Amino acid sequence: MEYVLETNNLEKKYKDFRALNHTNVHIEKGAIYGLIGKNGAGKTTLIRIICGLQKPTYGNYAIYGVDNSNSEISNVRKRMGAIIETPSIYGEMTARDNLIEQYKLVGMPSLDGIDDLLKLVGLDKTGKKKAKNFSLGMKQRLGIAIALANNPDFLILDEPINGLDPQGIIEIRKLILKLNKEKRITILISSHYLDELSKIATHYGFLDNGSIIKEISSDELMKKMEHKIILTVNDSKEFVKYFEENKISYEVVDSKTINVYGKYNLSKFINELSKKNLIADEVHEQEESLENYYMNLIGGSNND
Amino acid sequence: MIKLLNANFTRLRKNRLFWLLTIFSIGVALFMVYAQYSDLKRYGTALEVEQLMLNYSTIIGIVSAIFTSLFLGVEYSDGAIRNKISIGHKRINIYLSNLIVVVITSLFSYIVFLGIVSAIGIPLLGKITITLSQLFMLLGCIFVTVTAYSSIFTFMAMIISNKTITAIVCIMLSFGMMMIALTCFNILETPKTIQEVTMLNGETKIEEVPNPKYPSEKKKKVCQTVLDFNPAGQMFQIAGRSAASLKILPLYSLGILVIFTGAGLVLFRKKELK
Repeated sequence: MEYVLETNNLEKKYKDFRALNHTNVHIEKGAIYGLIGKNGAGKTTLIRIICGLQKPTYGNYAIYGVDNSNSEISNVRKRMGAIIETPSIYGEMTARDNLIEQYKLVGMPSLDGIDDLLKLVGLDKTGKKKAKNFSLGMKQRLGIAIALANNPDFLILDEPINGLDPQGIIEIRKLILKLNKEKRITILISSHYLDELSKIATHYGFLDNGSIIKEISSDELMKKMEHKIILTVNDSKEFVKYFEENKISYEVVDSKTINVYGKYNLSKFINELSKKNLIADEVHEQEESLENYYMNLIGGSNND
Repeated sequence: MIKLLNANFTRLRKNRLFWLLTIFSIGVALFMVYAQYSDLKRYGTALEVEQLMLNYSTIIGIVSAIFTSLFLGVEYSDGAIRNKISIGHKRINIYLSNLIVVVITSLFSYIVFLGIVSAIGIPLLGKITITLSQLFMLLGCIFVTVTAYSSIFTFMAMIISNKTITAIVCIMLSFGMMMIALTCFNILETPKTIQEVTMLNGETKIEEVPNPKYPSEKKKKVCQTVLDFNPAGQMFQIAGRSAASLKILPLYSLGILVIFTGAGLVLFRKKELK
């Protein structure tokens, strides 16, 4: 598996506070990786380390296979674009001047692509308006344009929808999907807006107290979030045989628990089972949301 | 490094502060020439043009402090340093490119001042009365000291992440260096003897007595060293043409440049950025 970013037991301590605790992240090429965690979970610390702003106390990370201890890491970062917390824009400059500045910084041979970039982020009509007078959404989009100036293969967006109005959120979402699909950019996006992330992410990393407690693909997660019937049984073998014969989607959780996925009429379903002499000790019906899944992962209401 | 310099100079050209400081240099030059021309007309005497050229050196430290703290302070407040690092620029190159742009801007400010004084001052006040080699020697010393000033303020601006604190520290520092230099000057110029007036039987008697405040040789040496090492002290000595040896001052300035840039690079490389 080719990883754009891989961290290995990354740890970051600030005096007595451990912001990252043996964090392991794996981001596949082409993914939109949603880094989920509540405020203070360590999302921004992780991003700061990956971007070279801070050094890990322990552990290492590799970007495109190049370890952070390798002096080549600076060159690999040239394939990256990032917005960390707030977009890096000069408030006294116009959107166009900000992009010219970035083009010079990344050493683009000409300024030809600037108009296309401004169009891509919907800032082509801002004229001489200074960036400090932009709305939050416009600043965020300008930040993304700046991060795209070097045609990155890997884009890091830290809380890109924080403080945006619904229209701004939709615009950023569309832009992220467009960049991933049309330009094939791998994207790491951190947020605590679960619903919003669930609309774009192809993979998730759940971060809590500085540790990744679960990495899961969107397909796997969707499966887990499907409507399901949880059966507690004495002998799962007969049930499995029946489900296989009838092509019913299921998962054996342990020797006594089976999850059945799909929308069924519960009483009819139990009747059908009993006709085949399959009697469950307990039957629960459950429909899980990303929020429920996340709360269960981090320990539910205890962590509120 | 070239990309960083290219970006820095692109920003400089569009920077309002840079143009304000350039206008300030022109304004100071015009004011100085006008004031001397008025004196010449009124009293028939005025400072020589070369003296006007040297006088700007006494305030260039404040100009450099304001420009450096605000121009580089924005790098932190607007997240530009974060951006430069995350796209693969090495910290050493970021620091040095910022130092270079600050040095060149401070020198540019002085050169603009010299240009105006030369263009208007020479026709109005008369020719330069010292040899060109003497003038270039003095201006060369000033330019090296401007570099030393720039290295100190760049150090502050790159180590302190807060633009407002950087501005306060740099401006206070520039005034502080001037105050220290003036204090040292006062100590060194303390007269060896003072006149004591005594009244005896209605008669006034004036006699020269040793000055109790006259500094010891050790204190004088310390003050002279502080004056030589302090960029403001160097500028006062150059402008006043009172330096014992002009050759030693650039060495002190280069020492300052090496110490502050070396320390700045070490600390900036280790600095945890947010």
